[in-house]
Amino acid sequence: MKTLNLLLTAAANVMRQRLRTFVVIICLIVILLPFLTATAIQEGVKEQALLSVSEGADVYVTMDMYGRNGMIPVEMAGEIEKIEGVTKAVPRVISRIYIEGRLAVLLGLPLAELEEKVGFIKGSAPGEGETVIGRGLADALGLDVGGSIGLGVRVTAIVDHRPYIERRIYRISGIFDSAGIWTSDLVLVDIEDAISIYEMEGFVSDIAVYVRPGYERSVTEEIQKINSYFRIQTKALAERYMEQGFNRKGGVFVSLYVMALGLAIPTILVLSGFGLSERRREVGILKATGWQTQEVLEMVFFENIIIAVIGASLALLLSYIWVRVLNGLLIAQIFIAEVGNVAPFKVPALFTPMPFVLSFILALVLTMTGSIYSTWRTSIVPPAEAMR
Amino acid sequence: MTGVPYMMECRGVWKIYNEGRPHEVRALVDINIAVRKGSLTVLTGPSGSGKTTLVGIMGTIERPSRGRVYLEGREITGFSDVALSMIRRERTGLVFQNFNLLPGVPAWENVAYPLIPQGVREGERRRRAVELLSALGLAARVDHPPEELSGGEQQRVAIARALVNDPDMIILDEPTSNIDAGTALQVLEILKGLKREGKTLILSTHDSDLFGEADEIYRLKGGVLEGGG
Ligand SMILES: Nc1ncnc2c1ncn2[C@@H]1O[C@H](COP(=O)(O)OP(=O)(O)O)[C@@H](O)[C@H]1O
Ligand SMILES: [Mg+2]
Repeated sequence: MKTLNLLLTAAANVMRQRLRTFVVIICLIVILLPFLTATAIQEGVKEQALLSVSEGADVYVTMDMYGRNGMIPVEMAGEIEKIEGVTKAVPRVISRIYIEGRLAVLLGLPLAELEEKVGFIKGSAPGEGETVIGRGLADALGLDVGGSIGLGVRVTAIVDHRPYIERRIYRISGIFDSAGIWTSDLVLVDIEDAISIYEMEGFVSDIAVYVRPGYERSVTEEIQKINSYFRIQTKALAERYMEQGFNRKGGVFVSLYVMALGLAIPTILVLSGFGLSERRREVGILKATGWQTQEVLEMVFFENIIIAVIGASLALLLSYIWVRVLNGLLIAQIFIAEVGNVAPFKVPALFTPMPFVLSFILALVLTMTGSIYSTWRTSIVPPAEAMR
Repeated sequence: MTGVPYMMECRGVWKIYNEGRPHEVRALVDINIAVRKGSLTVLTGPSGSGKTTLVGIMGTIERPSRGRVYLEGREITGFSDVALSMIRRERTGLVFQNFNLLPGVPAWENVAYPLIPQGVREGERRRRAVELLSALGLAARVDHPPEELSGGEQQRVAIARALVNDPDMIILDEPTSNIDAGTALQVLEILKGLKREGKTLILSTHDSDLFGEADEIYRLKGGVLEGGG
């Protein structure tokens, strides 16, 4: 009953000292909001990345080209498909491409594979001489289904020092409907078209190999036996790289954030000292009328918990709005490459409990350091002194 | 000394503010006072003579620089913070010169605040506070915060708060100095009633109207007691 009394009194105090409560909560929000929003976006991007890896093939094969990933002969797909445990080996062309000054990703797949992706597409899968492009790209260039787009140029001849340029025009058969981060700037074409755009006759960027469960190891070994210059990347490895990459990005953000906190903490300490002289007098009054120091501290502790809960919850709510309504305006670019102030697609976000718990603890630590010590100092001096 | 212990006793009590520093103030010098149970003791003296300091020491909200303080014959001078809080909770009721009510808190809650850490439920707290306030003629003001009350009303709220833990000793610092003459008479009646109930009363004042009821009058001047009786 005593504890309940102190808790209820703390709640009443938080309401009564409206201005102080308001100022401290605003400070907490300013500190916690970027943290919650950034971690939510980071988690969201990571989740999508891992998802796209796990949806992908089990093994990717390229060839060593002076230490880099090089092109691989397209007929190797047929060879690899013969290995026991391999369900499918799909040749792919994947490359960066500039379209009217805008960087995009070109992906070439066999026509049969393209059909499978139709689910995501507004319009239809690309046939020969056709392409499906991402929503971000379409919006940026003002393109729609039925429009056309030039992919790749080539110099066919030079006459009188003037190059004769051939531009390949593709019809847009569809647009990726899901405004996802990975498809936003994608240009999807038939693999034959991709090969001719890059003039890599007989070669592809890599071969995606799908394997029956349990065969990953043996298949990898068999592929390596075909040619020791093959470079093989497994899904597990890709996932690990992905995790590491994100953790590094997260690390950069965390260190920036810690620096910001270094500035914010003194601020909140000053602000929570806000109204301290009234507080001092009140503590004196309570002590003079028979409260124990421990009871005063308990009440102040409850006040801080209430304020921390309100601050952290409001920060979470606002962070949700920032991501879902404002689409991560200005903050998404930290975690997603080639996104400007305004992301052209729905910024992925995942709100996990851990950052919320962390920010609650942080809020509590901040409010506690601001108040518990000074309250304790006040309540151990004779009450007459505190009331002066 | 009689066999019956005094309610409150000060022996050789000094209070020196800022001791050893340039602004050193000798607020109390070698004070000896003995307060009998059930008596009304008046401390008088000009402003700055040490009245507030002395009632503060007897109310255990101030520590003496030197000397000893006894409660019912037991020395409490060196008591811990916890033990002194316990004495204030169970034995004493304090009324401060400037009332020291919590701003923005309704009168009844101000009165009942000391009961919060004692685990008394809100309903019971309100009942007791309203009862006390009504007895002091403030039934219509129970839900008003101090800002909405006159000086005399605030004084009575402060008295009600001092009484809420049913103390056997009530200490009032200049209870009539911040209120008008009419209200002062009311306060005097309240004090008489408390004395009839057998409470020990200690009050500081320079209002001679209160002297008539006193069992003992002590005069302070410059921190020195001029003589009892
Ligand atoms: N906290 C303090 N620090 C320094 N001097 C003080 C303090 N409180 C009171 N005094 C001084 O002690 C003397 C007695 O003060 P006080 O007990 O308030 O007298 P009274 O209540 O009779 O007016 C005064 O000279 C006053 O200025
Ligand atoms: Mg005084």
